[in-house]
Amino acid sequence: MNRRFFLHKGALAVAGTGALPNFLVRSILAETNVHPGRRLVVIFQRGAADGLNVVVPYREKNYYAMRPTIAIPQNRVLDLDGFFGLHPSLASFKPLYDAGHLAVVHAVGSPSMNRSHFDAQDYMESGTPDNKSTTDGWLNRALQAEDACACARHRQEHTAFRALALGAQVPLTLAGRIPAIALNNVNGFSIAGRGPAFSPAAQAFEAMYADSGDRILHAAGDQTFDAVKMLRAADPAQYAPAIGANYPTTEFGNSMRQIAQLLKANLGVEAAFTDVAGWDTHQNQGGVNGQLANRLADFSASIAAFWRDMGDDAGDITLVTMSEFGRTARENGTAGTDHGHANVMFVLGGDVKGGKVYGKWPGLSEEQLNQGRDLALTTDFRTVLGEVVTHTMGAENLNAVFPGARLDPAGFLRMT
Amino acid sequence: MKALRGMLACLLICNLASPLPMAAAPPAASGKRTAPASQLQNDQRILQALNRFTFGPRPGDLAAVRAMGLDAWFEQQLHPASMDESALNARLARFPVMQWSFRDLIFRVPPNPVLRQAMNGRFNVPPSGVLHAVYENGIYREQQRRAGKFNPPAPAGPPPAMQPPPEAGSPPPGQPDAQAMALAAGMDSLDGTSQSDAILALPPQQRLDRLAAMQPPDFEAFLRSLRPPQRRQLTAGMPPGLCEAVQDLENPQRLVVSELLAERLTRDIYSDAQLQEVMTDLWLNHFNIYLHKNELMPYYLASYARQTIRPYALGKFQDLLEAVAHSPAMLIYLDNAQSTGPHSLAAKRFARASFRRPRLRRQEPPGLNENYARELMELHTVGVNGGYTQADVIQVARVLTGWTVERPLMGGSYLFNPNRHEPGAKKVMGKKIKGHGEQQGEALLHMLASSPATAHFLSQELAVRFVSDNPPPALVDRMAKTYLASGGNISAVLRTLYHSPEFWAASNYRAKVKTPLEFVVSAARATNANVENFQPLIGALNQMGMPLYGCIPPSGYGWNAATWVSTTSLVDRMNFSLALAANRFPGIRVRFAPENANPAMANPQQQEAQLERMLIPGGVSISTRSAALEQFRSRWAKAAPLRTANLMRRPNTAAPGLTPLEREDQMLAGLLLGSPEFQRR
Repeated sequence: MNRRFFLHKGALAVAGTGALPNFLVRSILAETNVHPGRRLVVIFQRGAADGLNVVVPYREKNYYAMRPTIAIPQNRVLDLDGFFGLHPSLASFKPLYDAGHLAVVHAVGSPSMNRSHFDAQDYMESGTPDNKSTTDGWLNRALQAEDACACARHRQEHTAFRALALGAQVPLTLAGRIPAIALNNVNGFSIAGRGPAFSPAAQAFEAMYADSGDRILHAAGDQTFDAVKMLRAADPAQYAPAIGANYPTTEFGNSMRQIAQLLKANLGVEAAFTDVAGWDTHQNQGGVNGQLANRLADFSASIAAFWRDMGDDAGDITLVTMSEFGRTARENGTAGTDHGHANVMFVLGGDVKGGKVYGKWPGLSEEQLNQGRDLALTTDFRTVLGEVVTHTMGAENLNAVFPGARLDPAGFLRMT
Repeated sequence: MKALRGMLACLLICNLASPLPMAAAPPAASGKRTAPASQLQNDQRILQALNRFTFGPRPGDLAAVRAMGLDAWFEQQLHPASMDESALNARLARFPVMQWSFRDLIFRVPPNPVLRQAMNGRFNVPPSGVLHAVYENGIYREQQRRAGKFNPPAPAGPPPAMQPPPEAGSPPPGQPDAQAMALAAGMDSLDGTSQSDAILALPPQQRLDRLAAMQPPDFEAFLRSLRPPQRRQLTAGMPPGLCEAVQDLENPQRLVVSELLAERLTRDIYSDAQLQEVMTDLWLNHFNIYLHKNELMPYYLASYARQTIRPYALGKFQDLLEAVAHSPAMLIYLDNAQSTGPHSLAAKRFARASFRRPRLRRQEPPGLNENYARELMELHTVGVNGGYTQADVIQVARVLTGWTVERPLMGGSYLFNPNRHEPGAKKVMGKKIKGHGEQQGEALLHMLASSPATAHFLSQELAVRFVSDNPPPALVDRMAKTYLASGGNISAVLRTLYHSPEFWAASNYRAKVKTPLEFVVSAARATNANVENFQPLIGALNQMGMPLYGCIPPSGYGWNAATWVSTTSLVDRMNFSLALAANRFPGIRVRFAPENANPAMANPQQQEAQLERMLIPGGVSISTRSAALEQFRSRWAKAAPLRTANLMRRPNTAAPGLTPLEREDQMLAGLLLGSPEFQRR
C-alpha cells in the first residue's frame, strides 16, 4: 500500500520529487501554486459516518469478527488496492479513483477524544480540536491567509460569492472575518420578483439595510444585496447540468448541482461548503443495503455528478470530505454503531494524486483499537486540509489557519 | 421636488415629536441608583416582556398589558390554566385527528406499518365505509411502492428517515411508467374530465362517499387527473371531519404530518397563553425529536407536545424529564427502545437460542445502545461539561436498559421490560444508583434533574432564549440558585429572570434576532392574519432552514443571531414579508384597515405611522421609515386631487378589488415586516 500524500502537479510535484530545502519549496509555492481559477469545495458529513463501512479494510480478519451483521462481505466490496475496498454503494467513486482523481485517507480525523457530535463538529469546523474559544472556521482563516500571502496578487478582487455555503446558514467552517454568504436556492435568490430591474420594494429594503444602525443586520444586508445583484446579472439559470451529470433528486444532490451552477456562472466562488446529514447510524445501519448504503449512494452519486458536470473546469477544483468522528469498530447491540474515533476522508481533484489509500493503517486487533473500541487515529485531519488549502488558495501561513497544529508543509508533502 | 423634500423633513420631525417611542432613541435614563445599567421604562418594558415571553405582540396587546399592569400580566402568563382559550379551541377544532387517542389515530389514519400488517392479513381491514376505502387505497399504494422496487433503480434517495418533510398538496409520488400507461389507456381523458367535474360538483357528504366508493386505481387516476384549482375544490365546503376523511383516503400519513404542524402553528399564533407556548417550543427544541426518524414518528409526535411537554412546560423540570424519558417518541428517536443489557435475561436467551440454531449465530447478540444515555446528559440535563466520562455514558446506558416501547411499529406505549435490563449495581459520576430494575432509571433521572450542573445548563439556555445571546453570568447563577432552591421549578426560575435588572437593561432591548419560527409567527400575529392554510408558513420555515420537528440531530436548533442571520435568510424574510402583507399566500388573509376611511384625508406618512403602530409598536428608525416612504415620492408629486381620485378608484387590475390606498398599505406593511427592526425582538 502506498501511503504517500497526494497532490502532484506544479510546485508540489517538484517539492515531492526530492529533498528540496524549505525556502525553495516556499518560493516555488509562491510562484506557481495559485492561479485564479482554483476552487475548493468542502463537504461535511454530519452525524459521524461509519468510515469502516465506507472504505472497508476487507483483509482485516477482525473487521468481520467485530461486525457480524453489518460487515460488507469481501466479495461485495469494490477493491481499491488489495486491502481496502469501497462500499458497493460508492460505485460511482470507483471510476474517479481508477482515473487517479480520487484519493482516500484512512484512519484520519480529529485528535480530540470528545464523543459529542456537536463539540466534535465545532472542533473540526473551527480547526482547533479541544479549544472551545475559537469563534471562526478554518476555511475562513484559510481565505484570510490567502490575502496575507504574497501570492494574493493573483486575486486582488473578490466578489460577494468568494465564500459560499449552500444552505440556510453560514456554518462555523466558513464563519469569520471574510464575509461568507449562505444560499439555499439559487433560483429563489432574488427579492420581490425576478424582473430585469430592481423592484421598488427591493430598492426600499436595500436602503433600509444600508442605512441601518444595526451592525449585524446592516452587514448581512450589504452582502445580500451585492449577491442578489451579481446573481441577477450572471443568470445562473442558463447553466443546465452537463450531459451525463445525473444528480440525485435529494437535498444533497440539489446542493451539489447548485454549487456547480454557481461555479460555472463565474461568480468568483473560491470556497464552497455544504453538508449532508443522516450518518448517525446507532441502530439498524444495514450492510450492503440499508440505511448507510442509501446515504452513501446519494453521497457518491451527487459528488460524481458534480465532477462530471464541471467538465474541463474540474481540473481546477479540489473537493474534500470530512465527518466529525468515526464509529465504534464493533457493531452495537442494535445492529448499528456508536460514537467512535478515526474515520475516512475523500479528496477529489484535478491536482490530486488519487487512486491511492493514504495514511498509516493502525489495524483492528484489540490492542490496536483506540480505548479498546474504535479505529485509532494515525493522521490528523488538519494535515490533509493544510495541504489542500496551501495548494488551492496558496495559504502559506498554516499556523494561522490551524493554530497550534504545527503543520510542516515539507513534512507532509514530501513524496517518496 | 424641493417642496416635497421639505414636506418629508417636516413629517419626519412631526413623527419624532409624536408620543411613539423611537427605536433609535436611547431610553430615558433611570432614576434608580441601584440599577447596574440603564433600565427600560414604561412602554418599552411592556414591549420587552411581550417580545420575549410571547411570539410577538399582536395589535392591541401593548394597550391591554398597559391596562392590566405588567406584573399582573406576567403572573397570569405563569398560570395558563386560568385563561380563557375558547377562541383558540375553536381553531383547534379544525384538527379533530389531533385530539384522538393514540389507538384511534393508528387505526383510523393507518400509518404504513399498519397497512403492511393489514396487507399481510395480520390486521383486519374494516369491513365497510370510508375507513375500508382508506385501507384499500393505502394497501394499493403500498403494493405499488413495492412493485416499484423491482424496476431498474432510480438514483438512490435517502431512506425514509432522511427524507425532507413531504409537502402537503404535492402530487402523490410517481408510479412505474407501465402502471401509469395502463391507467391512462383504460380511461378516456374527455370522459375523465367531465366525470371529475361531476364529482367535484356533488354536495360534501356525497362527494366523500363517491370518492370512498372508487376502486383504488381509479381513485389514484382521479387524483392525478385533477388540475390545481380542481384539487382545491375537492374539499371545498367540507367541515373539518369530512376534509380529513378525504385526506385520509389520499394519504393518511401525510394527513397526520400536516395537522401536527398546523396544530403547533395554530397554538403559537393564536394561543393567549403565550408564555406556555413559548416554553413548550423551548422544551420541544430542548428535547428535540426528528419527525422523519421513522414512519410512526409523526403519530408519536401528535401526543408528544400535548401529553409529554406542554403540561410540564412551566412546572417542575424533573416531571418534564420523566415524561420525556417515558415517551415512546424519545425512546425510539434516541434508540433506547432497542438497547438491551449484555448480561440481561434477553441476551442470555439469545445466546442459548443461537447455540441451538446456528443461523442465529450470524447475528450480533442484543446489546447496549449509548445514544439516549449520552444525549440525556449532554443535551437534556448536565450539559457537555457536566462532569461525565465515556464510562459514565456506558453506565447510564446500562441503567436505562429495559426502558422500551411495546410493539413500537404498531404504536405501542412505554414499557419497562425487566428481561432486557442489565442486572447489577451501577455507578454514575461517582454515585451509586439506588434500587433495582426500573427504579434505577427513576433514581438516575432524579439525580440528573437535581444536579447543580443541570440547574446551570438550563438557566443558561433560558437566559439565551429570553435575555441575550451572551447572558450575564451573574444572572445565570441567580437563576440556577433559584432552580436548586425551588426543586427545579421552571416558573420560579422564570420569575427570577423577570425580576432581574439584567432582563430590563436597555442594552438588552431588541438584543435578540428572531429565529425563523419567531419571525414567521410574529409576522402572523402582528398582522392579525387569519390562517386557514398553514402550508405557506410551513414551507417558509423549511426554506429558512428551521422546519418544525425537522431538526435531524438531537441538539435542536440554536437560538443565537449568528445561526440565523445570513444572506439567504434575509432574502427569504423580505420575500415572505411582501407576500404575507399582499395576501399572496393562499388561505392566509391579512387586512390593514385604513384609519381614515376618507382617502382624501389619507397620506402616506399617516398610513405608515398607523401601520408602524400596528406591526412594530416599538417603532422603527428614521432611515427605515424614509426608505419605506421613498417609493411614494413620485406619487406625492402628483396633484393632491388627482391622488385622491386615484386612491378611490377600484377595482385595480393588478390586485382586483383593492383600492390603490389598500395596495399602498400592503406594500408599506410588507416593507415594515422585512425591515431590520422587525427581525429583532
